Amino acid sequence: MDVTTVMSSSPSTQEAARAKTPIPGPEVLVKWLRDMMLIREFEVRCMQAYQNKLAGGFLHVYNGQEAVAVGCIAALQSDDPVITAYRDHGHALARGMDPKIGMAELFGRIGGCAKGKGGSMHFFDVTNHMYGGHGIVGAQTPVGAGLAFATQYEDEVINKRPNSRVTLCFLGDGALNQGAFHEACNLAKVLNIPVIYVVENNQYAMGTAIDRCTSAADQLTKKALAYDMDAIEVDGMDVIKTYCDMKALVDDVRANPRPAFVDMKCYRYKGHSMSDPRKYRTHEEEQSYESQDPIDTLSKFMLKTGVLEEPAIKAMSKEVRTEIRAAVKWAEESPEPDISELYHDVYVEQWGPYTGTSFPQFMQDESKGGS
Amino acid sequence: MAERMIEFRDALREAMSEAMREDPKVFLIGEEVAEYNGAYKVSRGMLEEFGPRRIIDAPISETGFAGLGIGAAMMGLKPIVEFMSWSFSLVAADQILNNAPKMLYMSGGQLQCPIVFRGNDGAGGQLGSTHSWCVESLYANVPGLKMVIPSDPYDAKGLLAAAIADPDPVFCLESERMLSMTGDVPEASYTLPIGKAIIRRPGTDCTIVSFGRPVHFCMEAAEQLAKEGIDCEVIDGRSVKPLDIDTIAESVRKTNCCVVVDQSWSFASVGSEVAAEVHRICFDDLDNHVHRVHNDDVPAPYAHNLEAEMLPNARKICEAVRSVTYNA
Amino acid sequence: MPIDITMPRLSDTMEKGTIIKWHVAAGDEVSSGDVLADVETDKATMEMQSFDDGKVERIAVKEGEPVDVGTVVAILLEEDESPEDAAVAQNQPVAAAPAATVESSSPAAVPAPEAQRSRAGNLKLTPVARRLAEEHGIDPASLVGSGPGGRIVKRDVLAAVGTSTETRSAVPPSAAPTPATQSQPVVIDPVPTPAVPVTAVQPVSTASTNSDIIAIPGSLQSHSEPLSNMRQTIAARLVQSKQSIPHYQVSASFNVDPLLALRKSLNQQLEGTGSKISVNDLVVRACALAMYANPLMNASWGGDSIVYNGAVNIGVAIALPVESGGGLVVATIRDADRKSIRVISAETRALSEKAKTRGLTVDEMADSTFTISNLGMFGVDDFTAIINPPNSAILAVGGAIQKPVVRDGELAVGHEMKVTLSNDHRVIDGATAAQYLVSLREYIENPAQILV
Repeated sequence: MDVTTVMSSSPSTQEAARAKTPIPGPEVLVKWLRDMMLIREFEVRCMQAYQNKLAGGFLHVYNGQEAVAVGCIAALQSDDPVITAYRDHGHALARGMDPKIGMAELFGRIGGCAKGKGGSMHFFDVTNHMYGGHGIVGAQTPVGAGLAFATQYEDEVINKRPNSRVTLCFLGDGALNQGAFHEACNLAKVLNIPVIYVVENNQYAMGTAIDRCTSAADQLTKKALAYDMDAIEVDGMDVIKTYCDMKALVDDVRANPRPAFVDMKCYRYKGHSMSDPRKYRTHEEEQSYESQDPIDTLSKFMLKTGVLEEPAIKAMSKEVRTEIRAAVKWAEESPEPDISELYHDVYVEQWGPYTGTSFPQFMQDESKGGS
Repeated sequence: MAERMIEFRDALREAMSEAMREDPKVFLIGEEVAEYNGAYKVSRGMLEEFGPRRIIDAPISETGFAGLGIGAAMMGLKPIVEFMSWSFSLVAADQILNNAPKMLYMSGGQLQCPIVFRGNDGAGGQLGSTHSWCVESLYANVPGLKMVIPSDPYDAKGLLAAAIADPDPVFCLESERMLSMTGDVPEASYTLPIGKAIIRRPGTDCTIVSFGRPVHFCMEAAEQLAKEGIDCEVIDGRSVKPLDIDTIAESVRKTNCCVVVDQSWSFASVGSEVAAEVHRICFDDLDNHVHRVHNDDVPAPYAHNLEAEMLPNARKICEAVRSVTYNA
Repeated sequence: MPIDITMPRLSDTMEKGTIIKWHVAAGDEVSSGDVLADVETDKATMEMQSFDDGKVERIAVKEGEPVDVGTVVAILLEEDESPEDAAVAQNQPVAAAPAATVESSSPAAVPAPEAQRSRAGNLKLTPVARRLAEEHGIDPASLVGSGPGGRIVKRDVLAAVGTSTETRSAVPPSAAPTPATQSQPVVIDPVPTPAVPVTAVQPVSTASTNSDIIAIPGSLQSHSEPLSNMRQTIAARLVQSKQSIPHYQVSASFNVDPLLALRKSLNQQLEGTGSKISVNDLVVRACALAMYANPLMNASWGGDSIVYNGAVNIGVAIALPVESGGGLVVATIRDADRKSIRVISAETRALSEKAKTRGLTVDEMADSTFTISNLGMFGVDDFTAIINPPNSAILAVGGAIQKPVVRDGELAVGHEMKVTLSNDHRVIDGATAAQYLVSLREYIENPAQILV
């Protein structure tokens, strides 16, 4: 089924397209559940660490949006690039980053994914094709087009073969109002770049409700019309729906390289950052979304379909807790970066006070393990 | 070897074309670079040779195509991003200042950003203040980027070739007013080291440091001053970042006097940086504080006479040299 | 503890001193206030006195050897001390006397940086000028800055060194006479080594080498002598003056018959009083009085201003006897415009005498506003002099020569005296200088006015 027709047609056609994508088998569902639990537990421990002053700077947690990262990334090949903004822990973990590497980064330790130089907003894991982690709202959207341009260029121009990769570029609904996003969409369409802009529509641009700051808030896919881009709405609270919708779109974009737009409907349980008292919305609203929690939804589905029993889910939850606890411990034990790191990784080559660059420890370990 | 006189713009194109023939990862993107043959004819003929997938006409959308270049560089391609004018790069400031130069650091060494941004810098000639940007001082402030400013066709080819080969983001600042300048340029590929200055004219009495087009004003001034008995050493910095302070300092140790000529505005500028470094390194060798010649601290005017007066010129340089050598 | 007697700092700018004469010897008893030695500083020859009572155990520095201020020059034993105590003390580090004792024989020894810095605080000099001055052992305080506000700049130091940038680049170092003579110490071996390249400016006698040359009594011998402090100062100051001040000269001949007649008459009247008026005394006062109408002649170049001096202090150049090293100093006759001829005469005589024997104090040489150099006594017709900074002018006075003159349209025999005024053109224009000579002529040729 051609996704293009789905976009411009009624929700029922989209439903039909989703139905075409089979629900993956039990092993995959178990993995998704575990990934979402891992992300949730990771974020909870991040908040705790933040309050214990183990983490500094800004912290934007992903609680409630786990299905988006897990479902979208499940729809990708392992070498499809992913890029997002500053609420990036979930994507990094879903892409396969070891939680201890992420936690160490949050703690500003040498063992972190960016040697403690990036922090919460800059989770990079190139071995898992996670290209950050970007702090400026919307700034990652042209860069995302560039990642997709490059994969396509490598395939089509250098290696003279059909396009093989799709880039997912995540952004928040607040980023829709950044000029960079619109330039990126236009450019991506003009050049037919295989990038999918996934708008994680959690309905708040920091503390401003979407209808107070964004035009066409009730139907964001209209934005894509201006760029003649295919666009779909996806339920980001249900990982299976997310996966199925995204899988169809990703596969189509891979085969017919072009940009696409996704209004990914979701909800951010916590504040924009740790200092956000969430006075701009009601407790009732929060509760109504928490009652549709993506982890609960999948757990119930698995219980209902007999994929997992209650004790197994409990055991998984405990296992995840143990893993994250170990990650926190590992991160705490990782040393602070040596002061010499200050002048490292500024330039590739040595000159003046600059000492060149090197991969972070986890990548060096991986390459050793791999060889 | 016989001389081969070509224009500055052709030297730039040779550097790009040679790199593109050599390495398929190199591509050029910018406004009017392909079908229009380049707004300033720098990329003339390149579309024909390399095709539309590698010579890419971008919409007037600097943030978009600068950011696209950065993403491509993060994936290992080697983009050349042409700004028709560096004045237009300001709308892409977040991309070129926040993303390109910081990617390596923010990713803890995981992602390099081997990209070249190039285009016309400096007053083009009665273009008014928004189009007459000299971005060197503004941008050189940012760690993680490199910056070269060629002053003749030979340097244009060698420095741009080096910029393309460099693994870090390099800003190449050209001058619309020099694009038609001809010079002897070898046909063969070559690179000039980034971060190495060149002494354009040896002298004993005063060191004049400059970059890009004003180097020619310095040479003009040096000829005039020689008639007055003041023997100037003119240094073409070639790179702003890394700055070859060693060559400058060595010269100042000899002359004990230094004038810096910088076509950007004086406050927190390349000129003030050079001056500060000379004061730091050569303190005991100085016979006077470093004198600076800059754009006047006003927006670039339109009127011909006002613009001419605002820019650094040989007269201002002569005055500064006379003053710094106590010959005023 | 034995007492270290160190080279005293006898002027604000003094860094080194040379004991030109010891007045005590080892074994002598001295009391507080006794003069121990005469010390030549950068500015003058001064007395070094003892501040303690005791016996001189040892003289540590020879006459004629320049040493840094603070260097131990002698050791004094107090009443109950023995020479052994001194030996013990010698082996202990002496805070007041830095290691310079050992190195002091080298005239190029770099002064202690602390001293340099503290002095530099009062001077405006550029960093490179300070460094060059240190390297060349030049006291920056002796220089007059040509930069803004009197800032001492590189060229001022180079001028004092005698190597401006031009000459330095024109003459390669190998051509300078010093290295050549150093490599051929004539005193030891008068036969030059052929391997040493003979350069154009090498001393003539070493170049014309002939081992058969018969020594003629009184003939010249090539050799070099280290510069005395005074010679160094003269060299530095005058080169600096000549190179940094735009000199020009204006000359005039005065009829001095009336002046000579007046002098004769005055001296007849003063016979028996011990006073004797010289032509120079009259010229000093005439020059002082002529300032009233020409205040610019009494002014100084201030870099960014012209400083008009209220007092008229006439400097009188005094040649020192060759026997005691030669050289020249300028004694200051303060307020010469307000002093009688007799006072001026007496002061000049006293200062001249003191300069030639014991040396002048810094005070006695400071603050001149105009200088007179008189070579008349040598029968010189006329000459030009180099301005003595911070003066703006100097008057070179020739002899009162008897010659045929035209007086009232008639050829007659009379005395004429030629004077040449050297002026700093930054301060004094030609017409101003000429006007001053008009005023001076008025006094010299109508000398009764000088007495009023």
